[in-house]
Amino acid sequence: MKKELRLTVNGQPYELYVKPKTLLVEALRKHLGLTGTKRGCESSSCGACTVILNGMAVKSCSILALQADGAKVFTIEGLADGEKLHPLQRAFLDYGAYQCGFCTAGMLASAKALLDEKAKPTEQQIRECIDGNICRCTGYNSIIRAITAVVNGEYKEEK
Amino acid sequence: MLIEGKFTLKAPIQKVWNSLLDPVTLASCIPGTEKMEVIDDKTYESVVKQKVGPISVKLKFTTTLTEVEPPRYIKAVGRGADITKAGTFTQETKVNLTEFPNDEVEVSYSSNVSLVGRLATFGERIMRAKAKSVGEEFTKNLQEKLKSGPAG
Amino acid sequence: MIKDFEYFAPKTLKEALTLLDKYRDECKIIAGGQSLLILMRQRLVTPEYLIDIKGISELNYITSNAKKGLKIGALATHRAIEKSPAMKNGFSVLGEMERRLASVQTRNWGTIGGNICHGDPAGDPVPVLIALRSTLKMANLKDERTMPVEDFTLDYFETALEPNELLTEIQVPLPSPHTGAAYTKFNIIESDVATVGVAVSLTLGSGSGICEDVRIVLGASAPTPMRAKKAEGVLHGKKITDNLLREAGVVASTEAEPISDIAASAEYRRELVRVLVARVGKEALARAKQA
Repeated sequence: MKKELRLTVNGQPYELYVKPKTLLVEALRKHLGLTGTKRGCESSSCGACTVILNGMAVKSCSILALQADGAKVFTIEGLADGEKLHPLQRAFLDYGAYQCGFCTAGMLASAKALLDEKAKPTEQQIRECIDGNICRCTGYNSIIRAITAVVNGEYKEEK
Repeated sequence: MLIEGKFTLKAPIQKVWNSLLDPVTLASCIPGTEKMEVIDDKTYESVVKQKVGPISVKLKFTTTLTEVEPPRYIKAVGRGADITKAGTFTQETKVNLTEFPNDEVEVSYSSNVSLVGRLATFGERIMRAKAKSVGEEFTKNLQEKLKSGPAG
Repeated sequence: MIKDFEYFAPKTLKEALTLLDKYRDECKIIAGGQSLLILMRQRLVTPEYLIDIKGISELNYITSNAKKGLKIGALATHRAIEKSPAMKNGFSVLGEMERRLASVQTRNWGTIGGNICHGDPAGDPVPVLIALRSTLKMANLKDERTMPVEDFTLDYFETALEPNELLTEIQVPLPSPHTGAAYTKFNIIESDVATVGVAVSLTLGSGSGICEDVRIVLGASAPTPMRAKKAEGVLHGKKITDNLLREAGVVASTEAEPISDIAASAEYRRELVRVLVARVGKEALARAKQA
């Protein structure tokens, strides 16, 4: 019944055996213990489960784990470099872009996917990239400001 | 959800009334009725199977005639559930008969259906859309049934 | 919460069709799963066999031919279509429609074929494809056939696809000269499904400015995406003015058969049709004049 699943998560290769009905979010949280990615809604509407799969932001609750066979997945656990926070994380801290933090992993994944694709998105493009991520706390503007700050070079990584 | 319909029949009002009074009549006109069981002269149990796109439902429910004002008005109430517990529902249906000259009777019904559960939350758009066509089919079935006269 | 199923992941169309031919009504096809998984998670759909066609690369393409138009593989993702350089000039309406479809995450994984086969009258692609006179290609193990997109959706969430068939390709012909097409939808929040969607394609006679051809297609306004043919009749053969567009909007709102639901009442949907047909018609006209 279980099938083999090979995927790379945050640069680390894994081999799992999962039931076909396993969702990608379940594989990440339960099988790999990567609980940073959240399940918020059960209706594919909130985006708290967003991860980056082969460079694309996707809702991991709406993908069967087996569909990620052979894929490169990025989750929130892969954002910081050890103790060193990613510019997006620092900006989120500085700009108050989270309160309860439940949507945050998904927001950062969507933001990172955008910046990986486009270094200088417009404000409209930033707003569109988090279209599929719902936040109950912040009112979104602090999130937009944080991402914009990174785009504007406020957090240029020191070498 | 409100499901309504009306039509006119050429038949004596008493004949139409006698048909309606038989709970089998109303229950058997529901599209997709698979099984029916008489409990008493006012109560009926049915199993209805319906498919809306990818969603199949098998509903088991009871219909009771609660208000009977011959020969003009019937009220029936029902409650039931999907066999897999995907949803439960209640309904209240009012049927009015109005006499017209030349042996014509207008039959009008109004059914208030309330659906709760996963079917309602996730299937709301699908169920609601289907309700309209179910209503149309019910109207057609009722019309046919009343034309042919009371059940034997 | 999902009920267990047996899983197949064919890598070629032939493999998939062989499986489909075997299991027919007992199985479900999954591509991006962006519509199907919502239902499966809630056990509203519980197939015994699931055929995952997402990996069939031969169905994932977008090609453009200067004479024949577009050929889009059923497994092309919404995002790929949105970003495709082929979505320009007469086809730009397709890219614009995709850009407003759901959210980025859904577009990255969901496929246009999956969307069409779901048969949702509120879906965005089908009204636009109808306006662009598109055809669909579907195949079973022995044969293949084509049909106009217009004839594909039969009822709420029901399509003309046979149990042993797969949708393989969407064909969008080159628009005639002096044709403009536009689409918009009203939704409650961005990334939401259409409360009402309207697609319009207008073809003007060269020099005459008379409307030689018109398609007005309504989404989320009837059991299936529908052409508002009476409204089209208001514009056909005439020189299009703002007043005429408003009239077409009024006629379209009477033709529509919307339902009331949590998003809007039937009356409000009719009102949306009335306004949006005129608005989208005006945009299509402007594009036709430039084409």
